[in-house]
Amino acid sequence: MSPSSETTTTPTDTEAVRTADQGTHSPAEFELAVTLPANLHARPAGKLAQTAARFSSSIRLDYAGKSVNPTGVLAVMSLGATAGTTVTLRAQGEDAEQAVQALAAVLASAE
Amino acid sequence: MDQPVGIVLVSHSAQLAAGLRELLAQIGSDTVPVAAAGGAPGGGIGTSYDLIHAAITEVDHGAGVLVLPDLGSSVLTTRTVLDDHPRPDVVMVDAPFVEGAVAAAVTAAMGADLDAVAHAAKEARDVAKL
Repeated sequence: MSPSSETTTTPTDTEAVRTADQGTHSPAEFELAVTLPANLHARPAGKLAQTAARFSSSIRLDYAGKSVNPTGVLAVMSLGATAGTTVTLRAQGEDAEQAVQALAAVLASAE
Repeated sequence: MDQPVGIVLVSHSAQLAAGLRELLAQIGSDTVPVAAAGGAPGGGIGTSYDLIHAAITEVDHGAGVLVLPDLGSSVLTTRTVLDDHPRPDVVMVDAPFVEGAVAAAVTAAMGADLDAVAHAAKEARDVAKL
């Protein structure tokens, strides 16, 4: 997939990648790379899981070759993502963009 | 779901149960009713029928109660309480104490029902920590 390779080669905390597929009503996809300001430890993982549960889209959180459903607080913690590294949020569904933006805001505000 | 599922932490140690309760509040589930039922009657290491029964009553806000025992007589004493006061919406689950409680509390905070919260706690056994 070109969107993911694009984000990994130029990891910035604001780069959004939309899929090129337009003109059909296939589910919306949205992807965003976020550079973590703090370790993805228990507290932000809990907040992330609760936020992710509010959306209907299918969401994934990718880090270092691993991919988890962010509604699983233990799975998010098991990524062991540390401050300064980049994680990628991907969502597919009607509220994909809102979901990714909301989760990115949680990650960006982690302390 | 108006009210979140309640969670009871049963441990041999009052401090262990209270410390886990504190952790759960920090992980973002301070909206979820969580009660610690740790220690023997009158203090010390052990389990207390009365503490467990009172804790269940305390966190029962209408959406059901999940009871997490640490091990051994926590299971046995909880079972006695549940046998004496059988209710379909108060269940004990077999789950890792810390991980199960964290998963249950976060899931309850999402507004999930008792079945989903119980499932999240049990599933914690299969999530690698590292």
